[in-house]
Amino acid sequence: MLQLKQLMHKSLLMVIGSALLALSTAVYADGDKASFMPDIPEPKDESLKCVQPEDEMKKNHMEYILHQRDKTLREGVRTKQYSLKECINCHVEKNSTARFGDDKHFCSSCHNYAGVTIDCFQCHADRPSSNNKHSQSTSSFPHYADNSVEGASK
Amino acid sequence: MIEKTINFSRRIFVEKTATAVAGLSIAPGVFLNQVAQAKPADQAVTSDVRWGMLIDTNKCATGCTACVSACNEENGIQSHNRPATDQVWIRKVKLRDKQTGHVTSLPMMCQHCEHPPCVDVCPTGASMKREDGIVLVDKHICIGCRYCMMACPYKARSFAHETVTDPKEYAPRGKGTVEACTLCVHRVDEGGTPACVEACNAAEHGAMIFGDLKDPNSEISKELEKHGGKQIRADLNLNTGVRYQGI
Ligand code: SF4
Repeated sequence: MLQLKQLMHKSLLMVIGSALLALSTAVYADGDKASFMPDIPEPKDESLKCVQPEDEMKKNHMEYILHQRDKTLREGVRTKQYSLKECINCHVEKNSTARFGDDKHFCSSCHNYAGVTIDCFQCHADRPSSNNKHSQSTSSFPHYADNSVEGASK
Repeated sequence: MIEKTINFSRRIFVEKTATAVAGLSIAPGVFLNQVAQAKPADQAVTSDVRWGMLIDTNKCATGCTACVSACNEENGIQSHNRPATDQVWIRKVKLRDKQTGHVTSLPMMCQHCEHPPCVDVCPTGASMKREDGIVLVDKHICIGCRYCMMACPYKARSFAHETVTDPKEYAPRGKGTVEACTLCVHRVDEGGTPACVEACNAAEHGAMIFGDLKDPNSEISKELEKHGGKQIRADLNLNTGVRYQGI
């Protein structure tokens, strides 16, 4: 009796397992990336590197920005490397129609997906302005191209 | 009283100069260069400078609001057509002497005190003074209690009651925090001049001078030395960074 019960248990697990497997392969076969992963917009110029390796930025971008925010506001340190303004300059088009909150906005694409609420853009501009002094096109120090250019230390 | 406070900062300056001169003999030119140019972006501001403003009320034209418009434009301040609660960073004040009928017109804004009451009362440390004398609100940690607004004798701060749409990237502003004149800190850090001063000059009134109060060779210091400048409510001993002539 006990044996029969165990056997039934085992086969039930197997059925569930294969059903899940079938489901997942079906989704992958479908190629519907959006249903599993956030659709993160690419930076404006893909040839430029980010200020830190991508993996590091994914995990710790908030630490860099937080540190920079206090330095800038309280001490007047205005290096561009970890400045939120520069994130936006590189990752959001000038006068883009995608505003923070839309899935198409660089920051929201992931934050919406992860369900992490931020309030940066209650005060900060969520897109570069058209007369941007520090934009990629006019900057003499495109920090994104070379991590060593400006304010290299964290 | 005024004499006393001015002398106080002058004494500090003398001390600083002594250090600078001592430094010169070791590294010639280093200090001189720093004074003349905008500080490098990666360096923190220091108390070697103290930013201030001198306003000649005799040159300030009654009815002219060039400085106010320039400030609103620069910092993205929008009116909601509710004068009682709209944000005001700089305003024009008209004083009429009942005896003589003489009308004085002057711009009023954050006076960037050496001893700011707004900083004293802030429970979170959001209200703060930079080393170079610019008084700011750290909106990241401001809880919107508005104690600072009550403490300020100059009515210089306002509360953002409404959601801010499209803030300027260099002047972040948001609902639920207190704000005031930043002396256009984003410009100053790049070696620039506040928007109001620029506008006053552009309107050919030239009533406002911006500069370093600790540099004896700056235009503002020379003018102060020659003709003096009063603090508003000097009796409070706040040693304001903004001084007025002709009042
Ligand atoms: S309103 Fe903000 S800055 Fe003013 S006292 Fe309260 S916390 Fe401090």
